[in-house]
Amino acid sequence: MLNKFLSTASLISVFLLISCSNDSYEAIHYKDNYLVEDGGEIVNAMIGEPSNLVAMIAGDSASSAIAANIFNTLLKYDENLNLAPELAEQWFISEDQKTITFKLKNDILWADGKPLTSQDILFTWKLVTDPNTRTPYASDYLLVKEASAPDARTFIVTYEQTYAPALDTWASLQILPQHVLKDEDINNTFFSRKPTGSGYYQLDQWINGQQLTLKRNRNSTQGQANIDKLTSRIIPDTSSQFLELIADNIDFMNINPIQYQRVFPSREDLKQRIGLYKELGNGYTYLGFNLKKAPFDDIRVRQAMNYAIDKNEIIKGVLLGLGEPIASPYKPGTRWNNSKLSPYPYNPTKALALLQEAGYEKNADGILVKDGKPFEFEILTNQNKQREMTAVLVQRRLKEIGIDVKIRVIEWASFINRFIKTGEFKAVVLGWSLSLDPDQYNIWHSSQQGPGQFNFVGYENPRVDELLEVGRRELDTSKREKIYHEFSKLMLEDSPIVYLYAGYGLSAINKRVQGIKKPAPPAGIYQNSFEWYIPKALRRNEIAAQ
Amino acid sequence: MRVFFRNPLALSGLIIIIAILILALFAPLIAPYDPNFIDIDSILTAPSTKHIMGTDGLGRDVFSRMLFGAQISLLVGFVAVGIATLIGIILGSIAGFYRGWVDSLIMRLVDIMLSIPTFFLILAVIAFLTPSIWNIMIVIGLTSWMGVTRLVRAEFFSLRQREFVLAAETMGASDFKIIFSHLLPNSLTPVIVSSVLGIASAVLVESGLSFLGLGVQAPTASWGNILTDGKEYIQFAWWLSLFPGLAILLTVLGYNLLGEGLRDILDPKNKNN
Repeated sequence: MLNKFLSTASLISVFLLISCSNDSYEAIHYKDNYLVEDGGEIVNAMIGEPSNLVAMIAGDSASSAIAANIFNTLLKYDENLNLAPELAEQWFISEDQKTITFKLKNDILWADGKPLTSQDILFTWKLVTDPNTRTPYASDYLLVKEASAPDARTFIVTYEQTYAPALDTWASLQILPQHVLKDEDINNTFFSRKPTGSGYYQLDQWINGQQLTLKRNRNSTQGQANIDKLTSRIIPDTSSQFLELIADNIDFMNINPIQYQRVFPSREDLKQRIGLYKELGNGYTYLGFNLKKAPFDDIRVRQAMNYAIDKNEIIKGVLLGLGEPIASPYKPGTRWNNSKLSPYPYNPTKALALLQEAGYEKNADGILVKDGKPFEFEILTNQNKQREMTAVLVQRRLKEIGIDVKIRVIEWASFINRFIKTGEFKAVVLGWSLSLDPDQYNIWHSSQQGPGQFNFVGYENPRVDELLEVGRRELDTSKREKIYHEFSKLMLEDSPIVYLYAGYGLSAINKRVQGIKKPAPPAGIYQNSFEWYIPKALRRNEIAAQ
Repeated sequence: MRVFFRNPLALSGLIIIIAILILALFAPLIAPYDPNFIDIDSILTAPSTKHIMGTDGLGRDVFSRMLFGAQISLLVGFVAVGIATLIGIILGSIAGFYRGWVDSLIMRLVDIMLSIPTFFLILAVIAFLTPSIWNIMIVIGLTSWMGVTRLVRAEFFSLRQREFVLAAETMGASDFKIIFSHLLPNSLTPVIVSSVLGIASAVLVESGLSFLGLGVQAPTASWGNILTDGKEYIQFAWWLSLFPGLAILLTVLGYNLLGEGLRDILDPKNKNN
């Protein structure tokens, strides 16, 4: 019995401690300008342990974040999102637009000192297209009819037909070393935990379940980064990560709108030593319908949903204003976004009119009924607080016009396997993160509806199919722009999904880290992270030593 | 009733439980707001005279949600334990009365059930069903009857040999009559105590499930899911963690005090002290 009282007492005292911890702080005086100084260590946190540092096999975000520091691609995007050289120095597109020739940089080396040649590129292409390689990324590279490496610096690919996203795909395929991997089974190799790369960093130390440290690669093909060590600590819970950020044990992390809009403004000590950054992400959150099933097979019902949902309210309530309403599946401000389109305004009267047109009548209880059946459905979403709150706001607005909505939150793996792959759903709140190329064939073409494919809502529009097919074959940017603008317009009319918002990515970075571009360039603040530096005066160990 | 006043632990437990029961039963009358009323202009406001326990991430009144959450927690407690007790009594009676292979069979079943970590079993089952309050109550009930079974069986074993049972048997009373009029009424004391304690653990399990997102589904309030909301903002919106945490703590404490107090009161060995 005494035990129980003691535990009560200690719980209460913990709460007291939490609520009175932010009284005083020691102000650090930052200068306006610091000299670029070489060395130091930057620490961040990741939710989970990387599964495999070979990105084409891994597929989880922790793995790709680490692998991106170790490996190079042929091309990259510069800060203005234009394609730029990385391993390739130059590239040429043939007259018929089906062949691309890459010229590699001269004298580039792997971290172990061996030369990096076009044979490595050819090897990597063979690997990603090998049916025995368990990778979800093969399809783009299977479009290559022929690949060859006539000399050590030249790599040539020829496509069956013109493929507009081709260059984009060569900016995402990380090149692997043939001399290390030629006799290895890529699905199951020591290399996934002891990689040899060519990027700014190489693996230094990996402590299972704790942290992973990278150190600078002296043979980097891209020159030297400023910061000597990158440590990623495994902290599986974002609230704990935030506590670690406040406690100055990690240097940067992604934060949520509450932290950005409420916690930081109320804490002078945090504002003083942690910088906040926001940039519009390349993705959006949506309410998607199963177009194969009633009632959402009716375009009027879908448009009614669009009118009945107040997107601005969701942006204000869930994102505390840190988001933008959208009317096309492209990032606002980019050339692919059709700026003539505007989102469906919040208009419940119009929504009701459309529903009446579709055969719904309000009964005595104010519920919409068609053929004796009330209008009710379930919104599924995964365990993501923002999506859940979004669903609650949608539910409230739909209830107001007489639709009974239930919400069900499901763990990710069973969400995908039991509901998305089987088509056993009526509506979902989910999000898409997109690549920089406007091609969305995989998501919206009617051929992409098989189990596990991305058009799981079942969208079919012959004109959209045609546009998507033409769009990925058109290399002229302004012609492509027109194609995708028309595609966006049709999508908005058909309303296979309701665009809810595009959220801002929010980052908090300790001010000891210098060299961050503000305002963020189009490619985002992390684009130049190799130029970041930590002045000696601000380094963690140095402070501790004083 | 007078014995209660001589046992301060039981009494304090009883007072806590009655207070929570009253708050839960009259929630619609006491609650200042609709628990699901969203006000995006007052997101995460601190406790004030307008919202005495503050508001949550969607501007809903935490006090009102706590009151309605109490209904859920108590309902889950009572129904789940009701199911468990019912199953426990039936199986325990059969095992204790008939003994022999029936007893062995039921006891092995109990052993099997006890060897499975209950919370993970519940998690696994809920993952396959639609998470709803009714499913949770049934699943908790179906996975926590083993203690009661053992208690009833043990009581039956000792009562079986007593003269009044033998007398009833010789007079030709049916098995059913012997079980229900003679054996059961005399074995209920430990069952009552263990049920009261069982409610406490059912409340905790429900809170745990809701905390993990597998319990009561949004927007319905339960203490567990208010606590989850609070976890995200614990450094900033302490009221979202403190109040549901305290409510769960008090409820569990109340049932435990009441249960242990009842045991002391009902235990004949304590009668002379």
